[in-house]
Amino acid sequence: MTTAICTTGLTKYYGAHRGVLDVNLEIKQGDVFGLLGPNGAGKTTCIRMFLDFIRPTSGTISVLGMDSRADSVEIRKHIGYLPGDFITYEKLTSGELLEYFVNLRGDTLTKAKVLADRFDLDLSRKIGELSRGNRQKIGLVQAFMSNPELLILDEPTTGLDPLLQQEFHKLVLEEAKAGKTLFVSSHVLSEVEVICDRVGIIREGALITVEEVAALRERALTHVAIEFENPVSPSDFETVEGVTEVVVTEHKMSCNVTGSIDSLIKAVAKHTVHKIESAHPGLEEVFLAFYNDDDTEKEDYYAE
Amino acid sequence: MLSNIYLKTLRDSRKSVLFYSIGSISLGLYVTLFYPTIRDATGFAEFLDQLPEVMQSLIGDAETYTTAEGFLNAELFSFMGPLVIGIFAIIAGMTAIAGEEESHTLDQLMANPISRTNLLAQKIGALLTNLMFLSIAMWVGLTGGSILAGFDLSISGTTQAIISQYALGAVLGLLALSVGASTGKKGLAGGVAAGVGLVGFLLDTFLSLVDLLNPARFISVFYYFNSNDVILHGINVVHFLTLVAIAVTAIAISLWRFERRDLAN
Repeated sequence: MTTAICTTGLTKYYGAHRGVLDVNLEIKQGDVFGLLGPNGAGKTTCIRMFLDFIRPTSGTISVLGMDSRADSVEIRKHIGYLPGDFITYEKLTSGELLEYFVNLRGDTLTKAKVLADRFDLDLSRKIGELSRGNRQKIGLVQAFMSNPELLILDEPTTGLDPLLQQEFHKLVLEEAKAGKTLFVSSHVLSEVEVICDRVGIIREGALITVEEVAALRERALTHVAIEFENPVSPSDFETVEGVTEVVVTEHKMSCNVTGSIDSLIKAVAKHTVHKIESAHPGLEEVFLAFYNDDDTEKEDYYAE
Repeated sequence: MLSNIYLKTLRDSRKSVLFYSIGSISLGLYVTLFYPTIRDATGFAEFLDQLPEVMQSLIGDAETYTTAEGFLNAELFSFMGPLVIGIFAIIAGMTAIAGEEESHTLDQLMANPISRTNLLAQKIGALLTNLMFLSIAMWVGLTGGSILAGFDLSISGTTQAIISQYALGAVLGLLALSVGASTGKKGLAGGVAAGVGLVGFLLDTFLSLVDLLNPARFISVFYYFNSNDVILHGINVVHFLTLVAIAVTAIAISLWRFERRDLAN
């Protein structure tokens, strides 16, 4: 299978300031890849290099099998791009902007109109009069309208209300099903979790890890609270595999579990249980683990 | 008008071009309709001859001032004409690339399959086209005004003066565009081009009277625009080609720099 995006030793400095450092990334065609990191971590820097808006200080980028710089025009024929804050010509109406971009791409408005209907976008209003959410809708429509092979979406749901976010997630999943490659940058962890197969975590310009979402979730912490019929002792659970932070108050116990909770369930089964509650494992926990200020803990985590 | 960047740029500037064109026609009409008053004023030529050299340098050639072409040379092509064309050209040039960049619309535009060279070529094309509209408007004002006022005006001389002025406008506009495309900084682009225009004007007029600075006239774009009074004596080919060479150099620098630099977000 062809690689959609491949970077080797990708480094970018803005003068003396760090952009990204030695990023090695391989995204296969058909992947839905999420790049996760806080603001300023280097997500947008990566994206702007993929699109040849800025040039690497060192390293190489191949997009859809082509050189990001020499073949940038050909590459952009096959890319749909949505920036985090979609800023465009405020004096044009939404319809005029889509017409302009369609003309620049030598395309037709057919799919744009379908998408505009789907996102309930009024094509007759001037962009300058629209709310941020509505502007972001235009951004989404123009990114998807030319049926691109590769979609690069930088913080795509910024400003969208929850219903439209859901609609956007549905659209992404449809495109993924159709075999499109999606590169989504986000600091909204739950979003990446919903739409992505693989996630890269970037911090201070360095790509810390790339993992399957399922694998990350397995490593995520689950918070469990159990109510027993009779009082229990902390020692009944402290030695169970993956269990930490055990707190017992008479016949109630709470703890964190890393990975599978199977061992805990087996230990709990020795007692009569009234109620079990567990918080849904989110990437937040994984994310927080990666971004923990305690460097030793973090290094141990990476070393696993 | 939304088929490509060239037409979109013309569309964006249509109101501004309309107002500048009305201004250019009005300016042409104003000086031509005013000319008979000066021509018929008795003793005006003698009065000009008595003026100090500094004052004469402001007005132009005292001997030809009372001729139609001499009057237009002094009253239009020495200051007001290049001022109108120059201001328009500099604003259009500084906003062409740097304006898009500073208003954060360039990223989204460049996400489409367009090369930077193509973008620059279309922006340059739009700038030169708009300058042509303004120049035609001024030519219409002058020739129309001469007909209305009932005096003969050299069409060839007027056309050549308008063409030379167009070249000056193109140089200033392309300088602004070049600095903007090379740096992404609109203010710097406007400042450099306006500085070149203003210093050029001063070197070619007042400062040329200072013996020490007189040789510096040759670095003034105004020297190459109208030092030989184009409306009276026709275009000096060497001077005109010098303006063309400056414009081509500005384009070459903008292409070279714009292709190589990072775009601002």
